[in-house]
Amino acid sequence: MNAIEVNQLTKIYKTSKKNIEVTALNNFSLIVKKGEIFGLLGPNGAGKTTLIKILLGIVFPTSGSATILGSPISDFRIKQKIGFLPENHKFPNYLTAEQTLKYFAQLSNVEIKNVGLQIDKLLELVKMTKWKKTKISKFSKGMMQRLGLAQAMMNNPELIFLDEPTDGVDPIGRKEIRDVLNDLKNSGTTIFLNSHLLSEVELVSDRVAIMNSGKLLKEGTVEDLTTSKESYIIETASNFDNNLLLESFDNISIKLDPANKLNVNVKDNLELNFVIDKIRKAGVNIKTISIQKHSLEELFMSLINDERRGEK
Amino acid sequence: MKNIYTISLLTFREALSKKIFLFFFSVSTFVILVFALLFGFVSAESFSGGFVNASTTSFDNSIANGIKMFIIYPLYAGGLFLSIFSVAGFIPTLLEKGNIDLILSKPVSRPQVILGKFFGGTFMVFSNIFYAIFMLWILIGIKFSVWEANFLLSAFTITLAFASIYSIIILVGILSKSSTFSLVISYMIFFIFSPILSSRDTIFAFIDSGFWKTLFEMLYYIIPQTSDLSTITTSFAVGNSVENFDSIIFSIVYIILILLGAIFIFRKKDY
Repeated sequence: MNAIEVNQLTKIYKTSKKNIEVTALNNFSLIVKKGEIFGLLGPNGAGKTTLIKILLGIVFPTSGSATILGSPISDFRIKQKIGFLPENHKFPNYLTAEQTLKYFAQLSNVEIKNVGLQIDKLLELVKMTKWKKTKISKFSKGMMQRLGLAQAMMNNPELIFLDEPTDGVDPIGRKEIRDVLNDLKNSGTTIFLNSHLLSEVELVSDRVAIMNSGKLLKEGTVEDLTTSKESYIIETASNFDNNLLLESFDNISIKLDPANKLNVNVKDNLELNFVIDKIRKAGVNIKTISIQKHSLEELFMSLINDERRGEK
Repeated sequence: MKNIYTISLLTFREALSKKIFLFFFSVSTFVILVFALLFGFVSAESFSGGFVNASTTSFDNSIANGIKMFIIYPLYAGGLFLSIFSVAGFIPTLLEKGNIDLILSKPVSRPQVILGKFFGGTFMVFSNIFYAIFMLWILIGIKFSVWEANFLLSAFTITLAFASIYSIIILVGILSKSSTFSLVISYMIFFIFSPILSSRDTIFAFIDSGFWKTLFEMLYYIIPQTSDLSTITTSFAVGNSVENFDSIIFSIVYIILILLGAIFIFRKKDY
């Protein structure tokens, strides 16, 4: 059983005033496996939050279906096993941190006898213990995010949705949140992370999906997406004649950088071996050969730009 | 039921956090203290200005009823004015982004959210009104030995009048997400439409048009009958017998129907 299965989801919003239709999700399908950290990336307005809201029954799909932990999303009782930190969440500002967590614990059907201990444990985890009795109207954005994270974990969820969890959090806080996410993952919790902070997602996610205009553009493990199997870096130990390279590899794209590193784009292994043979024949010592890696940000930008060009 | 209770409790707390309910409570307490002092220092005969010097049962009843009427009118109009003002923002606040998402992400059904809000707000108002009425009932009972239990029932009819307006506030809040709009509609119903429609028989004497008569009659059954409830409340307060309970039954059915409508719309909406 997968944690999330999304099947051909479409959501069309209709504006009441001008009768304009906006397609937030367009035949969107996705699978999130149990126990993984799944990062959903996309520019603002890509449909990320709509997807989460549909999965949580906050927004209703126009068509398509989805299941969470094996149950259809229309079954609200499944939410007992789910945690959610929405973007820009608002807690009742007349409550203290402790009262807020207690309230959401009660709504999540956490057993009353466990609530006190769970609150203490989570406040310690998000480093908010000393603010336990403080009214949240006095909290900063970062503190609200930490409390929000604690709230999302109150019911020991099997699946947790985090919408921009590090928004407004300082770098130290972000590191701490990443650590919390990794601990959660190690305890078997599935994490669905929605963020536009690509480096954050890259650091913690096992798999990512990139979406734009309600469509899935790419999906895979971070390793797969950031590793280009056609691009290699060949580091050489000695200098060589640049002209020789240009003459020998007229059909293969090779670039030499100032640090004597060759960026090679090949079609397959055979072509790579052909390049290596040529370089060796020219008397050049090869120090290392490595697969070229792109950052998630580079991939993201390239996909989004391609998509936008396609739209034009 | 547990979810309705949890949301009711939070709504009760939300109401408590509003200064207006504390103001209501403080005014009630002040009035109770004034009467307690008055009853402590002034003899029963003095309430009549010395015209009656014997403390008879009918005399005590008249004085007690006078005091009850002195309390019940401001409590009905003023209490409901403040209560409506303080609950008008409940639904728009609930529906704010970042708040409604959190609640709907919990294992709570949408009808439970609405019912929780309704019962929480209604219970808060009932507590305040019942506190004032009960304390005065005790004071009047001790001073004049008049233990008219019907006076306590007026707390329920005032709450019923509030609940019927509150159901409209919930419905309008869901539709408009605007506390100002909910407030304007509620005050118009409470202070203008309901009193006018309640005295429609008098108005009919000046109107010949069948169309207007039908329209008035229809509106009477569309708009909460808070003015009629006010009449019943007064009767309860002074111990008069109430023979026509139509307004009470109508209000209960009205609340149920409006809440069902609100739930129906709330269940279909995206947030």
